[in-house]
Amino acid sequence: MAEVKPQKVSAKVWDENAVARHRIQWCPGCGDFGVLAALKMALTKLEITPYEVLMVGGIGCSGQIRNYLNGNAFHGTHGGALAYALGAKMANPQLKVITLAGDGDTFAIGVENFVHVCRRDPEVLLVIMDNGVYGLTKGQHSPTHGRGMDIKEWSEESPPPFSPLRLALTAGATLVAQSFSGDPKHAAGIYAEAMQHKGFAMVNDFSPCVTYNKFNTYDWYKAHVEEIPAGHNPGDPNAAWDLLNDFDRRGRLPLGVIYRNPRQKKAHARLPMWPEELQETDVRPLLEMFR
Amino acid sequence: MIVNHLKLLVGGVQLRDGVVTVSDILGRIFTRAGLHVLAMERGYASTIYGAHQYDPMVVAEEPPVSWGDPEIDILVALDYDSNPDAKEQPNRDTILRHSKYLKDGGLLVYDSSTGDIATDTLERRGIKIFPIPARNIARDELKRDVVKNVVTVGGLFRLLEFDRDATHLRALLEERFLRKGREIVELNLRAAQRGLEVVESVLKAKTWTDAGYRLEPRPTKGPMLLLSGNDALSIGAIRAGCRFYAGYPITPASAILEFMEEHLPKFGGRAMQGQNERESIRAAIGAAITGVRSMVGTSGPGLSLKVEEFGVSGMSEVPMVIVDTQRAGPSTGMPTKSEQGDLFLVAYGGHGEIPRIVLAPATQEECYTLMIEAHHLADKYQCPVFFLTDLNLSEGRKVVPESFFGQQAVRIDRSTLVRESDLRRDGSYKRFALTPSGISPRLVPGTVGGVIKVTGSEHDERGFVSTDPAIRKAMMEKRARKMEVYLDEDVKPPQVFGKPEGKPVLVGWGSTRPLLQEAQQRLRGRGVETAVVHFTHLWPFHTAAAKPLLEKASAVIAVEQNFSGQFADVIQTYCLVPVRRIVKYNGLPIYPSDVVGGVEQILRSGAQRVRVGVEAPAPVKVSEGD
Repeated sequence: MAEVKPQKVSAKVWDENAVARHRIQWCPGCGDFGVLAALKMALTKLEITPYEVLMVGGIGCSGQIRNYLNGNAFHGTHGGALAYALGAKMANPQLKVITLAGDGDTFAIGVENFVHVCRRDPEVLLVIMDNGVYGLTKGQHSPTHGRGMDIKEWSEESPPPFSPLRLALTAGATLVAQSFSGDPKHAAGIYAEAMQHKGFAMVNDFSPCVTYNKFNTYDWYKAHVEEIPAGHNPGDPNAAWDLLNDFDRRGRLPLGVIYRNPRQKKAHARLPMWPEELQETDVRPLLEMFR
Repeated sequence: MIVNHLKLLVGGVQLRDGVVTVSDILGRIFTRAGLHVLAMERGYASTIYGAHQYDPMVVAEEPPVSWGDPEIDILVALDYDSNPDAKEQPNRDTILRHSKYLKDGGLLVYDSSTGDIATDTLERRGIKIFPIPARNIARDELKRDVVKNVVTVGGLFRLLEFDRDATHLRALLEERFLRKGREIVELNLRAAQRGLEVVESVLKAKTWTDAGYRLEPRPTKGPMLLLSGNDALSIGAIRAGCRFYAGYPITPASAILEFMEEHLPKFGGRAMQGQNERESIRAAIGAAITGVRSMVGTSGPGLSLKVEEFGVSGMSEVPMVIVDTQRAGPSTGMPTKSEQGDLFLVAYGGHGEIPRIVLAPATQEECYTLMIEAHHLADKYQCPVFFLTDLNLSEGRKVVPESFFGQQAVRIDRSTLVRESDLRRDGSYKRFALTPSGISPRLVPGTVGGVIKVTGSEHDERGFVSTDPAIRKAMMEKRARKMEVYLDEDVKPPQVFGKPEGKPVLVGWGSTRPLLQEAQQRLRGRGVETAVVHFTHLWPFHTAAAKPLLEKASAVIAVEQNFSGQFADVIQTYCLVPVRRIVKYNGLPIYPSDVVGGVEQILRSGAQRVRVGVEAPAPVKVSEGD
């Protein structure tokens, strides 16, 4: 990858070392464009440099975002993104680690990682591009499929949608937020707040799939989303649950930071890796116990 | 009188009887007395409590060549209650299972707390019987059940005329119990004295002057250690600069996780118990992306779950050391039994083709040295390096001089990493640059002046996803080229013992080397001259070194602890020589007599394959978990 010339961080720096804009392989109108724009805004606002960023992309359309902006990136197996991010952050706490994945990657094949990363609470931002479908494989249902649909009978094959926010709260996430890529400026504010969180931050972003989800469209979301009231106290877990219950009862989808409660955590330094940090390792103290 | 040369077996009910406690006390004290201990066979069950457990141990003046045959000199039966399944009552499980392996003239020590048992058949074979009511002495006289093991140890030391003034025992007890109070130490010493007195009364009653065996301390040049393969490889990893370890609990790899959790932080590292096998390896890959030397450890079932990440490491060129402490598969298999059944999984496992290196240490010493090499190779070739041990090597213990660990100069070479000062800042750096060696200089995230795009999807030199046929071809060849360089620069040829020309050649890999050497000695004694060719560097297969050696043999005989002879298949494929096989897969170690019998059968009948180990100790059914 080409080097980045040291310069003052501007919005333009995020277009370097990235796939050219005209080659981005998302459908015209894809919600992920909004996420990309919001991400760049948040990174610029916080004056983060591309060198210190490590993006871990999931499998699918959403994970491609890692190549559409400047910064280090890794991309491995389906469902694995959060676990790679966890290890990277543990090894080098100086990195800004951002995981970018879809709802299928995060909540179907990767749910085992999601639940425990909520508990482990690494300083990692997760942005979920939630569209209710597996777009890249042409529209199969994902765990959030069926949101808002009036379905009278469910089946094992086609169960009701799953609530990312409720799972995150249950699993112990310390920042739980929701955004809508149809309003990138608002989303950017939420990302920026989440990026500064000292712990694991989950942002579930409604990112419509214009090709395969004909129900949860931009218009549908615009008709259903609602900003969290100004008086909401995100530090109070009961308030978070009450808010979710209230919005569910009214058939509305909350946008904003629903819960934020940083934990007291042990500080760690970057793990030693250079020869000068390792060469003099003396293992003799380990041997005495075997005498 | 046999001096400093015996095989001893301690048996009893798992958790309850203290088999591990007794063998640990014996092993440590013999080690401190300058004797060599080799305790490679592990006789425990996949259950916490209640199954039969046994720990065989060779004790000798010189380092034993191998663990030898099942025959034992001394049987120590700690179980005190009768086995209701036995025909003759009362009887003890340990005696039922193992007394048939007692040599004529050997010794039986058993807990007679619930009464003596009929030992006429053993006595007719000249076996000396020492009933010690250890549990009764502990419970009734000393009022502490737990000291029953020390009663037995005291009796055993008297039999062996060892540590007569209890110097070693006192020192060990003080180390362990002094913080709990001197009275605990004294109670234990009284327990040992009581065991001694019981043995003396038996000797007197039988008018035996001695038991026929003696252990004498020997001076050593420096401290000696008794440690397992898992201990040695963990120390090796720390020495090699591994600073991130992740594992999920699994027999027999858990000890590595526990060791790393306790000790890695002292060296600035972190060790993490994964929530599952996949999280472990993925987190380790995540750490490795940042440049940290990183490792995971598991056993067969866990490795099967990690297979998808082999490809990630190979394709994204993120170094990874993967320890597989093999146990008997398939599926849950036999969690506490050893096998060499995972070679195909590590050499071929996963979809597509990736560069990968497979190493297999033969001994505890090699667990240390080869682990240092494993991290170097992973770093240099930026691919997964598999480290194959097996249950007996990983958990089995051996005496190694402490000075051994200072002998090797270790140079941490990270020259394939790009530092900030190396960057030219002219836009020319490419993470997956097509170099003649296939090795591309590796930048890590966080380096000011550069960024990397890394992916398990096929990609161009800058790491952007591509399915362009020309790029795909060039990238496949680049990755494959690394293994050609490995075969030129770093692979080690097999070790050869004897001259293969015109002789039967015994081929092995991993932990079987000591056994092959002992079989070779015994065959020589029976007029059959063989050579031994032993591999530690298994994959990519070193055809250039192996083929000329094996072509000269009158017969190539692979000895493996698996069903099909997996390495034999590899040799046959690469060397185009027919490979005969001696295989054992009943959960017990291969014994020298298995190999001697197998070789003689092959030479006599021309058999292609000999399956050994049909006569296992009679099983007593106990339900086990996993």
